[in-house]
Amino acid sequence: MGAPDVAPAIRPSRRSARLVALVFAGAGAVIGSVVLESVLLRPYPIPLATSLAILVHALSGGRLVPDPCAGAALGPSGCFGATFIVLNIALPEVLLAVIVGAALGLSGGALQGVFRNPLADPFLLGISSGGTLGAAILYVYRFGEAQADLYLPAFAFLGSVGTGLLIFGIARGRQSSVETVLLSGVAVANLLSAVLSLVLLDNPFGAEQLTFWLLGGLALASWTVDGIAFGGVVAVGTVLCLYGRELNLLQLGPEVAQSAGVDTPRVRLQVILLASLLTAVAVAFTGIIGFVGLVSPHIVRRLSGSDYRLVLPGSAAVGALLLLGANDASVVAFPSSYLPLGIFTAFAGVPFFLFLLLRHRRAAAMGPP
Amino acid sequence: MTVPSLAPAVRLDAVSAAYGSRPALTDVSLTVAPGEFLALTGPNGSGKTTLLRLVLGFLAPARGRVGLLGDTVGDLSVRERARRVAWVPQDEPSREDVPILDYVLYGRYAHHRTLEGDRPGEVALARSLLASVGLAGRESDGLLSISGGERQRATLARALVQATPVLLLDEPTAHLDIAHQLDILDRVRALARERRVTVIAALHDLNLAARFADRIVVLSHGRVTADGPPASVLSEELLARVWGVSADLHREARSGVPYLVPRHLLTEVSRERTAPAAGPVHVVGGGGAARPILRALVDEGFIVTAGALHLLDSDTETAEALGLASAIEGPFSPLSPSTRERHRRLLANARAIVVAPFAVGPSNVDNLWDVGAFAGATPAFLLSRPPIAERDFAGGDATRAYAVLLERGAREVADLPTLLPALRGTLRGGPDRAAAGAADRADG
Repeated sequence: MGAPDVAPAIRPSRRSARLVALVFAGAGAVIGSVVLESVLLRPYPIPLATSLAILVHALSGGRLVPDPCAGAALGPSGCFGATFIVLNIALPEVLLAVIVGAALGLSGGALQGVFRNPLADPFLLGISSGGTLGAAILYVYRFGEAQADLYLPAFAFLGSVGTGLLIFGIARGRQSSVETVLLSGVAVANLLSAVLSLVLLDNPFGAEQLTFWLLGGLALASWTVDGIAFGGVVAVGTVLCLYGRELNLLQLGPEVAQSAGVDTPRVRLQVILLASLLTAVAVAFTGIIGFVGLVSPHIVRRLSGSDYRLVLPGSAAVGALLLLGANDASVVAFPSSYLPLGIFTAFAGVPFFLFLLLRHRRAAAMGPP
Repeated sequence: MTVPSLAPAVRLDAVSAAYGSRPALTDVSLTVAPGEFLALTGPNGSGKTTLLRLVLGFLAPARGRVGLLGDTVGDLSVRERARRVAWVPQDEPSREDVPILDYVLYGRYAHHRTLEGDRPGEVALARSLLASVGLAGRESDGLLSISGGERQRATLARALVQATPVLLLDEPTAHLDIAHQLDILDRVRALARERRVTVIAALHDLNLAARFADRIVVLSHGRVTADGPPASVLSEELLARVWGVSADLHREARSGVPYLVPRHLLTEVSRERTAPAAGPVHVVGGGGAARPILRALVDEGFIVTAGALHLLDSDTETAEALGLASAIEGPFSPLSPSTRERHRRLLANARAIVVAPFAVGPSNVDNLWDVGAFAGATPAFLLSRPPIAERDFAGGDATRAYAVLLERGAREVADLPTLLPALRGTLRGGPDRAAAGAADRADG
């Protein structure tokens, strides 16, 4: 057997140094991505220097770079257009990637903890599909169209949470082995997609609007959407991050956790609800983006050990960076086209998932150390 | 601590518990005083772990009440329970390779407020506890990369860091080498003696239980079958009855602590029939005369006891090979009072007595006199070939004893083929428990 998965002896100071580095890297990545997106994606190319200048101008409240379009031959209306593109199209999209990535990463980290299963992920467990079904029902049957932005998360939440509880109910009974949990998720996701097909058949006109959920993308991004998503993710995510100690103890077994003072059934229920809620926010605005929740916690555990007090916020940070990176990659690879991000994360995530699965099987075959 | 010190640490009042329809504990009452070290023992599936789970609140009793330091376990919050009782489980399937220092610190959860980190004093406490279980300098080793025995000791440290007045241990020595077994139990006993921590430990090893515990409680089929200090609880009879194992009980010369040397399993047939209604057949023999009889009776499905035999005698070897309860004396010595006492107990317990055609000398003539005490009440069969006169090496004493036996109603049988049908007829016709019960009712 090779080295243990996790570097066990990381000093706390080194851990926090890594976290600080992560924050700075994240801020840099956001700015870089906005510029990248504005420069590459639009049919009206904005010079790199100009888009950076517009961003710095806006971020500094006009104090730095008083005239961002000065160097470029854009003219007043061109400058207005470029500013609009950078600040109201590119920036919200990039920020939505960050928010949704954080939600998915954190949700994945929490679900892996509560299911004690390294392969848990909101997408693999069918929680995303449940959210999609909820959103589909809203769209197809046109409930509360006027305030779709608010109804959408609510319907997605009902679908996600219902699915999360269903999977949990199926998997809790025995020793919830990796296989039980995953197969339950696969079965439930299949059932949900059948129900989704039924809903679509019932009203074929809704199908077109739904396509983007099935593929997953950032096209819906706007300051309003970002605001709602940000508020939801920050509120739910903060509460979820407080469960680090409970999840640490749950890894030792439900009864050991209980003997140490964790109200195991209640904590499990709360964490699943919160993780489903986070997933619902993500699904409501970007559709199904898989594998971010699966991959992020693994990366964090490699970096900072298996303490869930770090794994949870770390997974959010890494998830944000991953989705940002996926978005950047899709912009670079296919400029001028809205390639749904879900396709991109699936291409990167499936091989990683298989790698984890095979490694897990090998470890299981060799028995516990 | 706000807990009244006079309340028993753990108290079970007529507790029954079940997993679904399968009963796990039936009508168990138990009071454990503060500072007591109680060893809980019994065969697999006898309810030891269930009892611990009840005290931990993992399982609610179907009937009765489980008290913990004066309160009903079910009324306490999970957190409050964790401040009162800590648990060292049998085997912990952890999924994460946590550094063991962190692992131990997780045990402080119930003492923390939300968002509170590990206090400096707690880290020092965790380190010293790890050192005390022999894991000094191993703090950053991962939980999954250390050995099973090391993990067990780390788990003990995690339970101790909880600083509870009650400590439950489920097979704490299962993965430990002999030195660590003694060390860990020594430490736990010191906690009980010096800090009045109440310890309940499920232990399979009866000798460790006898050595360390103040009190042993034996569970069998979910009921308490014995309860008391080790010296009064442990016996050969207990081993045979509860575990179906034949064993010798000795006492350590210095401490007087009893210890058992298990010999072998009582055979399947004999164990099944050890129900009192079946009743044993006692065979008196020596010098190999009883061998064919012992084998034949066991083959026929009788429960057989033997005595009083001498070590190194071939009858003794046969009795041991067949797993028979027997009274055994040292080689070539006259029967001691304690051996005769044991022999008389076996005789008293027997529903039929068979006297093999053994050579009677001064060292075993007392066997015949002892049979005489029971021959009146219990059917007795004397193998008459060769005749007693030819095998009386006790100066006529044997012949006189034989005559007394016949006088009291013992029957002579010529050989094994005549013995078996006679024995079967006697035991079939004799009063079994149901018939005796019916007779009692008729009398009343």
